[in-house]
Amino acid sequence: MIKYANFIILFILLSVGLLLKDNIHISTNLLSLFATKESVEKLNIANNLGYSKEMLIAVKGFDKRAKEEVRQISKELKKLKYINFVQSSIVPTQEIQEYYKKYYPILATFDDANITQEQVSQKLQALYDAQLSSVFYSSINKNDPLSLFELQNIKRTGISNKGEFIALGEYGLLVRVMTDISPSQMNEAKELYRDVHTLLSKYPEVVAFAPFFYTVENSTKIQEDVQWIIILSTVVLLLIYYLLIKNIRLLSQTVIALFSSMVFASLVSTMFIENFNILSLAFGMSLTAVSIDYLLHYHFHNFYATSQKIDKNVLYGYLTTVIAFGIFSFIPIPLIAQISSFAVLSLSFAYVLFTFVFPLLGLKKYEEVRKVESEKREKKVPALLFFVLSLALFTYSAFNFKLDSNIRNLDYQNLHLLKAEKLFKSNSGAKMTPVIVQASTQEKLIEELHALKILLPDTFSLATFVKDKQSCKTRQEELKTYDFKRLNRLINEEASKIGFKDAYFKDAYSFVSPLASCDVKELDVFKTYGLSLYHDENIYYTMALVSDVKKIQKLPFITNINVKEMFNKSAQKMYSDLLYFGAMVLIIIFVLLLVSVRARFIYAINYILFPLSFTVAILVSLDAINIMHLFSLIILIAIGIDYGIYMSNSKKPSNTMLAIKYSLLSTVAAFGVLIFSTIVALNSIGVVITLGCGAIFILIKAMR
Amino acid sequence: MILKVFLSLLFASSVFAQSYNFTELRYSDAIDRYTQLEGKISFHKDGLNISYPKSARELNYKDDTLVYYENGKKVSLPDMQVSKMIQYFNILSLLHNGDESELADMFEIENQANKKILKPLGAIKNYINYIELRKEDTRLQYIKLFLKNNDTISININD
Repeated sequence: MIKYANFIILFILLSVGLLLKDNIHISTNLLSLFATKESVEKLNIANNLGYSKEMLIAVKGFDKRAKEEVRQISKELKKLKYINFVQSSIVPTQEIQEYYKKYYPILATFDDANITQEQVSQKLQALYDAQLSSVFYSSINKNDPLSLFELQNIKRTGISNKGEFIALGEYGLLVRVMTDISPSQMNEAKELYRDVHTLLSKYPEVVAFAPFFYTVENSTKIQEDVQWIIILSTVVLLLIYYLLIKNIRLLSQTVIALFSSMVFASLVSTMFIENFNILSLAFGMSLTAVSIDYLLHYHFHNFYATSQKIDKNVLYGYLTTVIAFGIFSFIPIPLIAQISSFAVLSLSFAYVLFTFVFPLLGLKKYEEVRKVESEKREKKVPALLFFVLSLALFTYSAFNFKLDSNIRNLDYQNLHLLKAEKLFKSNSGAKMTPVIVQASTQEKLIEELHALKILLPDTFSLATFVKDKQSCKTRQEELKTYDFKRLNRLINEEASKIGFKDAYFKDAYSFVSPLASCDVKELDVFKTYGLSLYHDENIYYTMALVSDVKKIQKLPFITNINVKEMFNKSAQKMYSDLLYFGAMVLIIIFVLLLVSVRARFIYAINYILFPLSFTVAILVSLDAINIMHLFSLIILIAIGIDYGIYMSNSKKPSNTMLAIKYSLLSTVAAFGVLIFSTIVALNSIGVVITLGCGAIFILIKAMR
Repeated sequence: MILKVFLSLLFASSVFAQSYNFTELRYSDAIDRYTQLEGKISFHKDGLNISYPKSARELNYKDDTLVYYENGKKVSLPDMQVSKMIQYFNILSLLHNGDESELADMFEIENQANKKILKPLGAIKNYINYIELRKEDTRLQYIKLFLKNNDTISININD
């Protein structure tokens, strides 16, 4: 029965998981891993205002074919699910025209000069003559025959046109589509992506872009990439384990133990850690493979064949690693904190299994190996030399160190979408940046938008269409005091004298009464211009497009939603947090190593310093260092600690070296294969781990 | 500018024609009088040209640009008027293409004995009540435009 302990443990864990499945919560929101809580809130408000929900479609050229395609595409797009509206013409929508009609007296300019009878007569005579002599038909505005009111033609800033069509610079015609999809809605995004691409496949020269295209294309690519890497890694790992351990029973028990550790850590993490992310889960699972070195050390030192309860080296290695990850679990970077917590749980569980359960399984004894050449100390380089070399490499790195703060660089580099995005950006006219404007009331919000317009007159916002309450009231007063009744009488008298049809102008200027209220209720009609209004319990929000963010960003009611800048800021904070915690972890590791290896401190510390310095020196020589490089360096520390302790305290160095070599191979198989990934984040991990393992290999071969 | 709409309709039924002579009869409700004009319209690739030889007025629309001439000299028109005219010219282009499905997007089409009634669906319904096209066999005879302000404009094809 005891021989099946491993299986029983796994069975219990899986049963617990099944029973408590409703308590398991996994977050799929990747944004929350990289952006600060404040940035996520900002982006949520921006999404509610329609930001990132726009899809742009460009049709090359301005000829008849292009126009025909625009009409056809617009028509077909309107039939699709998740499409809010489609705009290919600068002609205002029916709703906006209704709005203009209702608020015409308030919005139009008004010539309030007192008009004499003679002036009325002259103007009407001109209209009369034009009806008889003009070759082009022109209608008479019987409501405003003297043209006292005039409404300026309003156009969205940054949008050019060719005739009635919206143009994308000199490239061609543009179709603007507002969708209901924000980049985080994966299933809906996939459905709309498929429908749009099926539709556009009939038009080979058409280019489309929407932020949610990245969600769909990149996640598909990442999924394919990860699947391939998992298969490759599993095959390589199993092959290595089998070839090297040559013990099927041990191999199967090890795989079961690792799996149980992953299940244990997954259950605890997803039940007790808030918003535990799927990426942290996947990464944490891979990290569990590091615990194989406990098994290998035990196996090659025949720990399971002795009555020994504890192997001090493995214990020290385990404790140092767990303490390092334990500290990192408090770092305010959700991804690293979650992975570190997972690592503490899974490594602890694996340690317990390998140390206390495996001796009960009755595993076969390991046959001693012949002496390897690495034990010949005289051919090896002194530890101090490696220590000095490590310091030299660190110095070199410090002078060439460059940080990559653009978190988007970590993603899969979707060249085809980046190119499409660039096409729209480079051909759009004025570079306008969206900002969120907020206020406690709608009235105050409109006032703030007008204040913004005074600072930056080319600002495009609801203030372009809505007067602030004060100006509206002033206009209302102006119109109420103007004598329109007298004017109407004069017009009708003079019109009759000139020969106009009787009572043709009987309603002239009657549109000024009653006047529309200054509390505008119809702001929703401007959604087609990308101008929405959103309010939660206490605050009203809207979007404004501005030409110079720097000039207005200090205004208290403005929030800049430049995603790139947001991520840059959060990346800067991540780097400083990581450096702070990294330094703390290194100090504690130094202390722990001093306690566990004493005299061979320099020798042991080299297993951390040399892989780090070697890897960083190569990285800085090649490119800028990103956050995933730094995180992988932490994993490298965790790996190095164990080896340092094992090698320093080993009574049978040949067996220890063999255990380390196998462990290194398994680490390369688990993480190193990521070097083949096309996703920069995963590739970065692969590069660091491969280089680091290479450096450790050099140490075990060459250091004494 | 609404004139251009009739002319576009005119062309819609005669895709292969390049130029037409026409007589325009315009009724102004404001003065309760009719005015008659004679002109010529030519349709080319990506545009059209309308001229009234007797008054030496000409309008050229090409590549989304509208140019107006009086006695051979270029005269600028107010932006608002130009944008409205362009809007109508684009309808004209659509009608010239003769694409029934596109026409159906913009008008509700009612077929009567020997004429069609087109009722606008989009923004132009603010200006136009309906358009009447009369045909004899397949050949267009005239177009009548009934405007919101009770004005009417009839275009009779002379050729």
